[in-house]
Amino acid sequence: MQFSQHRSAFFMLAPATLLLGVFIIVPMLLTIWLSFHEWSTQTGFETATFVGLQNFFDIFAGNSVGRDFKAALLNTGIYTLASVVVILPLSVLLGLLVHQKLAPGGIFLRTVLFATYMVPMIAVALVFSKLYSPSEGPINQMLGWIGIPPQTWLSAPQTALGSIVLLNVWQQIGYFTVLAVAGLTQIPDSLYEAAKIDGASPLQRFWSITLPMLANTLLFSSVIAIINAVQVFEPVALITQGGPVNSTNVLTYHIRRVGIERAQGGLGSAMAVTLMLSLIVAITALFAFFRSREGKSA
Amino acid sequence: MHMFRAFARASGTVAVLLSGTALVQAADVSFLTHWAPDTVAKLEAAAATYTASHPDTKITVRAVPFGDLLTTLRTSGGGADGATIAGIYDAWLPDLAKDGLVAALPEAAAADAATAWPAGVLGAASIGGTVYGFPNEINVYALNYNKRLFAEAGIADAPKTWDEFLAAAEKLTDKSKGQQGFGLINSWAAGVLHPFSSLLVSNGGDLVVDGKPVLDSKQATETFELYEKLIKNGYSDPAMATADANTTGPFLDSFVSGKTGMIIMANWWESALKAGMGDAFADIATAPIPVGPSGTEARSISYSWMTVVNAKASADEQAAAFDFLSWLNGPESGPNGASAMAEILVSMGILPSRTSDVAAYADQLASDPFLTGYTSTLANAKGFPVVLGGQEFSESLQKTLEAVQFGQLSAADAQATAQADAVEILERNAK
Repeated sequence: MQFSQHRSAFFMLAPATLLLGVFIIVPMLLTIWLSFHEWSTQTGFETATFVGLQNFFDIFAGNSVGRDFKAALLNTGIYTLASVVVILPLSVLLGLLVHQKLAPGGIFLRTVLFATYMVPMIAVALVFSKLYSPSEGPINQMLGWIGIPPQTWLSAPQTALGSIVLLNVWQQIGYFTVLAVAGLTQIPDSLYEAAKIDGASPLQRFWSITLPMLANTLLFSSVIAIINAVQVFEPVALITQGGPVNSTNVLTYHIRRVGIERAQGGLGSAMAVTLMLSLIVAITALFAFFRSREGKSA
Repeated sequence: MHMFRAFARASGTVAVLLSGTALVQAADVSFLTHWAPDTVAKLEAAAATYTASHPDTKITVRAVPFGDLLTTLRTSGGGADGATIAGIYDAWLPDLAKDGLVAALPEAAAADAATAWPAGVLGAASIGGTVYGFPNEINVYALNYNKRLFAEAGIADAPKTWDEFLAAAEKLTDKSKGQQGFGLINSWAAGVLHPFSSLLVSNGGDLVVDGKPVLDSKQATETFELYEKLIKNGYSDPAMATADANTTGPFLDSFVSGKTGMIIMANWWESALKAGMGDAFADIATAPIPVGPSGTEARSISYSWMTVVNAKASADEQAAAFDFLSWLNGPESGPNGASAMAEILVSMGILPSRTSDVAAYADQLASDPFLTGYTSTLANAKGFPVVLGGQEFSESLQKTLEAVQFGQLSAADAQATAQADAVEILERNAK
């Protein structure tokens, strides 16, 4: 009986496990293996030469390879942090706005917000590259009407990455607002009614009820926002090509440049492994942070 | 014995049938290019003419943006199922040949190429004496300037020296109108490098000599300092410099809308200017690159493009591709002894490189005032270095030059960084 159960479990799990193995585990293991080798992406794996940790030393060295990688890692970190820091509070704020039962048009507003998420990135990139034009862009023209001088947006290293973050926020905010609304609907009204009877102000109700009850939603949103931000590629490839002065050169774009354009597969794999490790560390730290908050509130 | 004869007869029959099959076997040839849709249409028309007399060959054209061309070649393009033919930039050839992605020309085609193209042009399509591609277009750089802005600023002639160039840039700069004297480029490797390199060679310098970078020369010092002067004096505004390989962005917008007095650009730029400016294109004139203090004559860098055949394509496909390319680049396929390829190139304002094409279009090229600034400098042009790691070298120098544009590096620091990075990159890639 037990053997029969094991056998059926094995057969039921096998297809999913096989797919996971072929499409996720094997490529990951292959990337890790290649990161310890010098290898041209244009040749077979049999030509890979073992170099130990040399690729990892190279990507953190002081030469152009190391400088470019470290700058791309920093750009990715800044982009991710800025995106999450802006998107999460804004999604909660907009979520509260569209969740209000008293305010009319909540569903319409939710639909409008979510619509930005459905626009293909190629269209967003084309429109934003024109909107951001420093001399003839509509945004600078509108700023001019209220006396604000033209901004450099994508045309200067000081503002280019921030401009890409704004573009990302614009596109993603609808999705995260819907997540926030889903979280808000799970909070029982009785809690708010009880707090009102106890004389809690709207701000106190937000800090003491809404935010703690949204913790799981916020954790999920944070994880998704971080993963999305770390994987940013299209706006950089379509609009800035990593410039100016590599200020928007994020890791995914840099890995493509090194691993594919220059065919330096070993170096590209070492960069990909470092990115993966950084992502694991960031997500683990996030879970630890939320657990510690849960512990304190309990 | 009887059985042996029967076997021999059967073998012979099979061999004849197989060879006959091979003769009539259709070949699918795909052509990867970065050309714009209207140029692709011309290439497709040429391919249709060829296939009318070669019904067993099917030719399809696929276009990707320039920025994605190398990546496409490196991924799908290099495999057996990738493009059979690709148009490539000469700086990419050493790396593609090293990785075995491009096939050498068959002997007959190589022998024909040796007599049909100037040795310097064919050299850019060769590695170690082996010819890998059919050279087609050649590009040089010239000063493009807006005659209307020159007249308004009281400048009579195009600058011939760097002193005249700086003086003109000063007069053309008018911040109250959002107008800059000289337009630099950023965010596009070749766009950043080629104008800098043209000024460098017009100052008697070089980027690379005998495979070794020489960015530590006096001529390079002066060129980096020229860039610094343009920025520090406000003659060039880096916020108006963003561009990409598709010529979109503020760099093009600013020149087209008359907010930039001068730029340094290649001849293929003519079609983009005409499309963007309409009648105002008549305001644009060209002149040779101004000569620097250490230079003796106006010079420019040149680079070429070539069509190569995928080394991983099947033997039939390779044979069909080489046959098509021999026809496309040969003197029979176009009008008046020119090639069909030359007809396509000239339609874009691009200079053909085959000797018979240059002769066939000599009058037309001489009568185009825009191209005169280019053709007059062609004889003195220096080829952009074709070395292993050329793309990485270009991107590294691009970043350093952009750092000068945005005031992140002084001219001296930029020169030191550029030389050190170039030495490390070229040495590493040469291994």
